[in-house]
Amino acid sequence: MSQDPYLRIEGLTKVYGATTAVDNVNLDVTRGEMLVLLGPSGCGKTTTLRLVAGFVAASHGRILLEGRDYAALPPYQREMGMVFQSYALFPHLTVAQNVTFGLRMRKLPKTEIDRRLEETLAMVKLTAMADRYPRQLSGGQQQRVALARALAIRPKVLLLDEPLSNLDANLRQSVAREIRQLQKAAGLTALMVTHDQDEAMTMADRLVLMSEGKVQQVGTQEELYEEPLNPFVARFIGHSNLVKGELVDSDSFRLPGGAVLKLANRYDARGPHILALRPERVRLSDDNGSAAPRGRVTVEDATYVGGHIDYLLAFPGGGHLELHEPTGAVGGTRRIPGETTGITWDGVNERLFDENNVAVSAAPALAA
Amino acid sequence: MANAIQSATPSTRGAWLSKLVVTVLITAGVVLMIVPLLMTAYMSLFADGVVTFPPSGYTLSWYGRLAEFPKFGQSLGTSLRVAFTATLLSLLIGVPASIALVRYRFIGRGLLNVLLLSPLTVPGVVIGLGLYVLMVDIEIRSEIPLIGSDWVLVLAHLLITTPWVVRLCVANLVQLDRSIEEAAANLGAPPARVLWSVTLPMMRQGIVAAALFAFIVSFENIELTLFLISPGMITFPISVLQYLEYRFDPLVASVVVVQTAVIALLLLAIDRYVKLSKVV
Repeated sequence: MSQDPYLRIEGLTKVYGATTAVDNVNLDVTRGEMLVLLGPSGCGKTTTLRLVAGFVAASHGRILLEGRDYAALPPYQREMGMVFQSYALFPHLTVAQNVTFGLRMRKLPKTEIDRRLEETLAMVKLTAMADRYPRQLSGGQQQRVALARALAIRPKVLLLDEPLSNLDANLRQSVAREIRQLQKAAGLTALMVTHDQDEAMTMADRLVLMSEGKVQQVGTQEELYEEPLNPFVARFIGHSNLVKGELVDSDSFRLPGGAVLKLANRYDARGPHILALRPERVRLSDDNGSAAPRGRVTVEDATYVGGHIDYLLAFPGGGHLELHEPTGAVGGTRRIPGETTGITWDGVNERLFDENNVAVSAAPALAA
Repeated sequence: MANAIQSATPSTRGAWLSKLVVTVLITAGVVLMIVPLLMTAYMSLFADGVVTFPPSGYTLSWYGRLAEFPKFGQSLGTSLRVAFTATLLSLLIGVPASIALVRYRFIGRGLLNVLLLSPLTVPGVVIGLGLYVLMVDIEIRSEIPLIGSDWVLVLAHLLITTPWVVRLCVANLVQLDRSIEEAAANLGAPPARVLWSVTLPMMRQGIVAAALFAFIVSFENIELTLFLISPGMITFPISVLQYLEYRFDPLVASVVVVQTAVIALLLLAIDRYVKLSKVV
């Protein structure tokens, strides 16, 4: 990148006593981008957002917005519009007063306040509700007021803290789309926090997966799904079987129970590793096929769940593997518990991690 | 179907029984509270000069003789004045103190918390006696008459009204969503503005409840006040007490009815602005 990013978070750290809630987080956000911080609860994503908003003082690090360090500024000087998980609407003010609160703090002329109020309420389709109080609105409407209030100040960065978590499941998708539309239309740079993977996948331009205060991986949905940098990412995004074993040969992976899997790629490394395989990227394979199966398993359980059949497979000598076989394929044979079968997968769907959880790349393919 | 009906019957009976118990308890509570009041009102109508039962007849004449009650105007005036001032001052002390206690972490916070609530744990008579000795001591040294002045009474009442204000405001504050104040800051409001435009308006119910309690606690106080009055200046409950030491006629009952009515009107007036059922 030749140009400095719009928002750069540099070495951001927050220490609470003995625990480090946010540990040396570095992020670059380009103008107009929606970056979604994703992770299990307690991973530090919300603290990161609160550090950016200024509600929490950073222990170390810088928050550079257009090159200026915001880390030491109080929240009321940061020009960042936040949508809170609880919406945090002012209960004693009407919708219109809520939306114009930030404009009045900026002492804008009345005509400008009125103009922006009208414009923002129209954006979130709440013009008819201007004189209502928050308690008179539904959850979805309250959420839109919270969004309108943050948009009205034309923030430099829009911050969204679990914006959909308090909504009914059937509302979530449409609200997610609405937020995304408004953000794109306004060309707003946004930082969103969620623990919900689907939500993150739908809303994000890029994802930041966090765990234990650290950034695990930054990238597009596809990058995180197809090329996870460590087992945590592989397991958290989508789902992965994590099989522990040992590289005994360039393409032989021995499980603790003795079973040996034939890997799709060749590796120079040896010793203990973790093999990550997505259930939907492993196939059942019969011995009569042209390619020999990569491993042999016993079917322990098979559950028809609609789009696919959930197989729970066991390696001889111990260890399990989940496999999703798409339904509807012509000529597929259902396996029944107790049956033994072969499994196989393609090289691109095989991820190997070493003892330090670092992804191991395959050795360059030899002419074979 | 038959099963459904059978299983429904015992649960219906259970619900009916628990409803009965609740109704009985509520009725008992209401009766306990209202009977003394009704008895007082009833006595104020007795025609006899000394309260006897059954009365020989009924009259409203005691209400016409309210002015005969010694120091009726003076004592009621003093009580209302002192209660009003003590309420106002304890709000000025207690509301900021409770905000500080709940919203900020500072050295001596625990101590302040204990200090603000401790007067509630000491018997009023003890505080009253202590204050009396202190005031006499100051009077002797400074030659300024203190006992019997409104201000000494107000100061003394602050000791018991402020803990109530702090307690009610703290209870109110802890249940307010902190992120609402953060939202205000996020939208550009500096701390003082957040306090004024968001925190205080949101505390309205707590503040009203606190004011109400402070007022009543001050107005009805006897044990602390007893030490700090002078013959020329007494409070209303003390005038009633003093009257009862010599006489027991329906006049005192009618005086109490009038006083109760004044407080009730005050509550009704407040209820127009803040629903009291919500705050207390």
